[in-house]
Amino acid sequence: MQINKDANGYTFLFSIAIVIVVGVVLSSLTLALGPRKKFNVEVKKKMDILSAIGVETTRADGVEKYDLYIKDAYVISADGVLQENLPTDKQAFNLDVLKQSRDKTIAEEDRLYPIFEAEVDGETQYVLPVVGKGLWGPIWGYVAIASDYETITGVSFDHSGETPGLGAEISQPFFTERYIGEKIGENGNSLDIMVVKDGTGTGVNQKVDGITGGTITSKGVERMVNETMRVYYNYFSKLN
Amino acid sequence: MESTLDIFVKAIFTENMIFAYFLGMCSYLAVSKTVKTAVGLGLAVIFVLVVTLPINYLLENYVLQEGALVWLNPEYGVNGSNTINLSFLSFITFIAVVAAIVQLVEMIVEKFTPALYGALGIFLPLIAVNCSILGGALFMQDRQYSTVLDASAFGLGSGIGWFLAVVFLAAIREKIRYSNVPPALRGIGITFIVTGLMGIAFQSFMGIEYGSGNKEKEENRIETSSILTESTDENSAVESTQTSQVINYKAAK
Amino acid sequence: MSATEKTLKGPKEPLFSRKNRKLITEPLSDNNPITIQVLGICSALAITVQVEQSFWMSVAVLFVMLVGNVVISLLRNLIPSRVRIIIQLVVVAFLVIVVDELLQAFVPDVSAKLSVFVGLIITNCIIMGRFEAFAMGNKPWPSFLDGLGNALGYAWILMVIGIVREVLGSGAFWGVSLFGSNLPGKETGLYALGYVNNNLMILPPSALIVVGIIIWIQRARNKELIEEN
Repeated sequence: MQINKDANGYTFLFSIAIVIVVGVVLSSLTLALGPRKKFNVEVKKKMDILSAIGVETTRADGVEKYDLYIKDAYVISADGVLQENLPTDKQAFNLDVLKQSRDKTIAEEDRLYPIFEAEVDGETQYVLPVVGKGLWGPIWGYVAIASDYETITGVSFDHSGETPGLGAEISQPFFTERYIGEKIGENGNSLDIMVVKDGTGTGVNQKVDGITGGTITSKGVERMVNETMRVYYNYFSKLN
Repeated sequence: MESTLDIFVKAIFTENMIFAYFLGMCSYLAVSKTVKTAVGLGLAVIFVLVVTLPINYLLENYVLQEGALVWLNPEYGVNGSNTINLSFLSFITFIAVVAAIVQLVEMIVEKFTPALYGALGIFLPLIAVNCSILGGALFMQDRQYSTVLDASAFGLGSGIGWFLAVVFLAAIREKIRYSNVPPALRGIGITFIVTGLMGIAFQSFMGIEYGSGNKEKEENRIETSSILTESTDENSAVESTQTSQVINYKAAK
Repeated sequence: MSATEKTLKGPKEPLFSRKNRKLITEPLSDNNPITIQVLGICSALAITVQVEQSFWMSVAVLFVMLVGNVVISLLRNLIPSRVRIIIQLVVVAFLVIVVDELLQAFVPDVSAKLSVFVGLIITNCIIMGRFEAFAMGNKPWPSFLDGLGNALGYAWILMVIGIVREVLGSGAFWGVSLFGSNLPGKETGLYALGYVNNNLMILPPSALIVVGIIIWIQRARNKELIEEN
């Protein structure tokens, strides 16, 4: 039987058949791989949080170490009020701070801020997510502060498309460790940490060396840290 | 948070589809031989981008994203018990929308300007596989624009940016035909190099300061001027001489 | 098959006959998809900042081309001509989604490096171009070889650009520093002698210039490829 390939009926049937095959294969694939993909995203987040408190992890032991070091996680509002009974997608670990910062329908005063409480060598530290804007796209990271609510004990930064070798270096240890020891506040007052020209900030309080050639990204980091730490310090300073 | 105007201007200059991301190069290289065809195709690309981006935005936010179908049934949302995530269909959906709109554009052009239709030939249907159109949709998804207006501004800006790039290059190529280019570089070779130089020139737009909202709030903003002066760090000294050379070249013609 | 039909069909082509081998060798030089056919430029330029990115992109394109060419070739007598382009588009999109899902699930860090450019493989002119120009009219095995040749032709250009840009621009190869450390204040190796990475190589325009130079060299070696005005 000669099938007329150009007949409308045949064209229609063929198209339907293709759609069904494609649909079935893709749905099965995505269902099968779904849990794995979700796990990958979650593990990365846990690894980044742990990196701020100086704990080295790999994708293999990320979950285990997270449970070991992170004791609690909660959310505060922009004016420093602890949030209770949040829906699942707004709970501390699940809250997508990056998406929130880009969402214009959410006013600044309505934003939520997660806090992760960690215990390292008997000392409590607080890991705080930060998001901001770099040169090419968003930048984000975690700032860990000590139990005095003032001193930074560690930092981890990441980015989506900053210039490799320049702005992209904000994720490297040589840059992040410049933040260790700086203060986000003192005696109830918020303090800013300025990112300055490379070489002029070493050993100076409240000043951190930037990356030569990565000025705009460095300034993005400065703004990101200062603006977000103000909100957190506002909450912490009231705790005492 | 960027304002809509920021997104629009960025899409034309700093994040130009061709010079920053190289999207839409194939048809760009093929069609830039005369300014007339370049203008025609550029306008078609603007139209397709402006129409497809809002449609794809709505699809992304109300159908494809995880929990986007919440308007159908609360259970399908992110907090429901049966969260539906159709984002794996994004590629197929976006490209289908683009193909459909391009078909529409083709029919309109054939009906109203048959001369242009003949001149553009195969390149009109090829807009469907023009990386810049699908790229625009993918960037929109990746950057999570939060309103339809932003997505449309991005589409319009990207289209205009692409249009400018194609027309500029066509103008240069028309002039180069009378220059003494080494034989092995003639045609495609010199086109690539010229596009590269134009890209370097467009890099200078990186110094534009976007978003003025937060500056007034902070008292310690002594660094404002240093941002603008130090932005040239991102470009080495080599580039600034090349930029001035390109400008001189363009001015001399 | 009757004897007459066999003779009409002609002798079966050996797997690696001269004609078939050419399908692989031609795209590697004289009919290179990027430098001669001028297809697939978009990703070639955007994704070549680091060798690792070039490598994974090549792998993804290779997979899509091989499977795609074979699938289209197998279906070539069944596809209604009216929806030809659409079906090709659907096959490409389908394969790219498969690649994307596999990358996200098994090598998420690579997936993050390639980000939106995986999706852009769909619009990679080389793939649709070969479907239309070759797979639609040839048997599965030659189509497979054609896909292999073009994907490899694409891959070697990508790797060359990636190597040039990463070595000259970041002083590294696959993330491994080659010339010592260039941390400010703690320079070692070549950097201690005053060498500085050429940051222009990291920026987009350099890729265009590198491709232009490769084209220049190619055409200078093979005079037949020179375009006349």
